[in-house]
Amino acid sequence: METKITIGIADMKMAKDNGVLITYALGSCIGICLHDPKIRLGAMVHIMLPLNMEEGRKNTMKYADTGIRETLRQMEAKGASRARITAKIAGGAKMFEMGGGTLGNIGQRNIESVHMHLKREGIRLLKEDVGGSVARTLLFDVASGTGCVRSYGRPELII
Amino acid sequence: MEIKDYNQLSSLELDTLREIGSIGTGNAATALSSLIGEAVRIQLPEVRIMGYNEAIDWIGGPEEITAGVLVGMSGQINGIMLSVQQLDFVNLVLGNMMGTSIQDYMELGEIERSALVEVGNIMISTFISALSGLAGIQISLTVPAFTVDMQGAIMTVPMAAYGGQSDYIMTIGGNFVCQGKEVPCRLLLSPDIRSLNVLLRKLGVSGQ
Repeated sequence: METKITIGIADMKMAKDNGVLITYALGSCIGICLHDPKIRLGAMVHIMLPLNMEEGRKNTMKYADTGIRETLRQMEAKGASRARITAKIAGGAKMFEMGGGTLGNIGQRNIESVHMHLKREGIRLLKEDVGGSVARTLLFDVASGTGCVRSYGRPELII
Repeated sequence: MEIKDYNQLSSLELDTLREIGSIGTGNAATALSSLIGEAVRIQLPEVRIMGYNEAIDWIGGPEEITAGVLVGMSGQINGIMLSVQQLDFVNLVLGNMMGTSIQDYMELGEIERSALVEVGNIMISTFISALSGLAGIQISLTVPAFTVDMQGAIMTVPMAAYGGQSDYIMTIGGNFVCQGKEVPCRLLLSPDIRSLNVLLRKLGVSGQ
């Protein structure tokens, strides 16, 4: 049985060589898996919002921009090379179909922000399962770099 | 003094919110009672201020499937109100209104779904109307939205809506007791922080 490492909301964890990173019930939030296959280092971030506009910008892992940047920094500190790091993402759903859109579509804004910041940091996005209206649980196997998405009423999806 | 985050509420302010929860949930229980034709009592409502992950544990774990009815509030108060309908509650409603029950949410048909939306909507509207009468404020409500999915993801909807303002989520609500059984009806009122200040000021307890 491989060790499972759970990532909460606005949280990030890394694993090296083996282990499964898992984050539960992504709604409009996005789970971002970053992986350096050569040194077999994987990280998963569970972000909630697109842009960090807080004073002092604490709480880096709550936001796509600071979450991606800070995770890459910590991976590089462990010997990862940016040129090798690839990404897989899941989430960004719209849980409730609201007329009028008082809530806006946070999921869609999260997707756009994650795309933009991965590009800006020069990280290649290999696969994704985003949008729609289903919640997702995301698992990521650090040894193989394989992701798996579990949803309600939908078969498991390998990414 | 205005609060900047949910965890700054004083004990008087928390007591006031609990009272709102009590009156709102009481009214919602009366509405439910007349819909299902059974006596419905309420348990002492709680005001909870929780971190994100704590809130998910409190509702009963992230992956559990549940139904959720969501209504948006605007006007003098902005926020979200959710009715999280776990299986016991769903079967209480369906059993009394239509004489059916389900084992799995997959079995919900069009009519069952619309009954649940309506029950959620009526309970939420009754709650909000009590609140608005009490504080003398105008609140407009959106049409209800409905989903069946992982409850962790349903709970993150109010979190994400106010995530830029706070690391906490505040919920006000309580459980029902019907036919001698506790039914976990989770009616959750989540106002944004500005609205919470408005509400506390209107009720005359802000900053005391």
